[in-house]
Amino acid sequence: MSFVSVEHLQKNYASTPVFSDINCRIERGEFVTLLGPSGCGKSTLLRCIAGLTPVNSGKILLDGQDLVPLSPQKRGIGMVFQSYALFPNMTVEQNIAFGLRMQKVNGDDSHKRTAEVLALVELQEFAKRYPHQLSGGQSQRVALARSLVTRPRLLLLDEPLSALDARIRKHLREQIRQIQRELGLTTIFVTHDQEEALTMSDRIFLMNQGRIVQSGDAETLYTAPVDVFAAGFIGNYNLLDAQSASRLLQRPITSRLAIRPEAIELGLNGELDGEVRSHTLLGNVIRYRVQARGVELIVDVLNRSAADLHPNGQRVSLSIDPSALREVA
Amino acid sequence: MSRAETGPGSLYHRLTVYVLFLILLLPLAGTLLYSIATSWSASILPSGLTFKWYIALWSDPRFLTAFGQSLLVCVGALLLSVVLILPLLFVVHYHFPRLDALMNILILLPFAVPPVVSSVGLLQLYGSGPMAMVGTPWILIGCYFTVALPFMYRAITNNLQAINLRDLMDAAQLLGANTWQAAFLVVLPNLRKGLMIALLLSFSFLFGEFVFANLLVGTRYETLQVYLNNMRNSSGHFNSALVISYFFFVLVMTWAANRLNKDKA
Repeated sequence: MSFVSVEHLQKNYASTPVFSDINCRIERGEFVTLLGPSGCGKSTLLRCIAGLTPVNSGKILLDGQDLVPLSPQKRGIGMVFQSYALFPNMTVEQNIAFGLRMQKVNGDDSHKRTAEVLALVELQEFAKRYPHQLSGGQSQRVALARSLVTRPRLLLLDEPLSALDARIRKHLREQIRQIQRELGLTTIFVTHDQEEALTMSDRIFLMNQGRIVQSGDAETLYTAPVDVFAAGFIGNYNLLDAQSASRLLQRPITSRLAIRPEAIELGLNGELDGEVRSHTLLGNVIRYRVQARGVELIVDVLNRSAADLHPNGQRVSLSIDPSALREVA
Repeated sequence: MSRAETGPGSLYHRLTVYVLFLILLLPLAGTLLYSIATSWSASILPSGLTFKWYIALWSDPRFLTAFGQSLLVCVGALLLSVVLILPLLFVVHYHFPRLDALMNILILLPFAVPPVVSSVGLLQLYGSGPMAMVGTPWILIGCYFTVALPFMYRAITNNLQAINLRDLMDAAQLLGANTWQAAFLVVLPNLRKGLMIALLLSFSFLFGEFVFANLLVGTRYETLQVYLNNMRNSSGHFNSALVISYFFFVLVMTWAANRLNKDKA
């Protein structure tokens, strides 16, 4: 029996379905990510689990108990919002203690637990500040502490990093993951950022148009996309239609083909002739656009030294690792 | 505040502001001077200074009654509007955001109809029959409520839009608060600013309201402006003292409210 299991969940807004039959299982202590483009229903699914949005039918079981008839107050779920949602009229300390105040935890105990979670997010010296005196990263750490202090059974994170700048985002990403591991807290994380999903998750549910398209660990999702959408959303796959694919590989291929850009090698004695059209420096990687047999391919090459750079117009030969070819429906 | 900016541009800007202030303050300063003058008719400056007009005003029981009654009607109307509009705004923004467009049209109605026209309508409606309350303070309270509506609604709406109501409510509920607790502990304290601004604006406007007060109630429940109108044939010094007293009162109110409304920390 899984710790969280969502069964045949259905949600309509007016008469348009957001999703009609969501099924998923999450184990105790797992960090699971719902990944998908905006409007795919991932945030709605999260809000349904939290009880903030009513569902039309289906079940959400948490530790064997059906959550659907329960109000959000009674679900024992913590949630962190993209907008932080800190209470502006309360200090950091009061914000964090709010959940305990609602549970009527006595003063000493409340004080102790507040101090504990403040230490966990490394914000002890900010206890007396007001939210408007905090940076975005600090605000989100307070929000995290506030949702942890009530010791929720399940933690939901709704794009918590999207409003932060890149450097803070990376740091906070690691901090969240570390705290989650330390507490062994079952967590569902919503994001539209594939890098976030790939680096943080035990398991990823890839969603599109109200369906879970694929689920699996980062490795599987990245190397074995199940369909065109998955291949297009994750990584920077070269997606070729059957005709171009047949021409490129010089053998009949009946479905669309996905090739990862880093699985193609640029050299001087490969089996396929091509010409460099353009290149972009991405930092540690150089991304080439190479034309071969009338097909344009993206090729990523590790940026070892400036001397290896292929100028535009140069003739090159390509070799493609056959195991990296994915036929997708 | 010190700014490095100097030169003719800055001088021009400052001059404009000073001239504007002068134009705004001149009539008031004139009134003030007139109210403390013994007599001031055929000379450039008054012939002597005295507080006797103020003493006469503040010892006139009719003035004190009018002042108290004005205060009572204004506070009553504002209380009514807080009690009715706050929950209304909350419901509109939290549960039926689409109603906001309709509300924006509705709240403009009290301004779309000129007071003289609407008071004729009100006289017709409430002059007789089961709801006869013309000549009582009740009709003024009700009428002032509609006048205060646009100020209250707009100021609080702006405040509501700035605090991200939905996320705050959601967060509070997930932390175990019921709707009432979330509204009183989280949302209401954050509306303090908008509410204070709305109350101040409406109060200063209603305290000086004359048309409705005169047409609907008149001398049967004399308010400050109606009293001022009735006293128009008495001494001009006396009336000036009245205007300055009234102005000073509103000024002190505004100042006190601003002090109370200062941000913590």
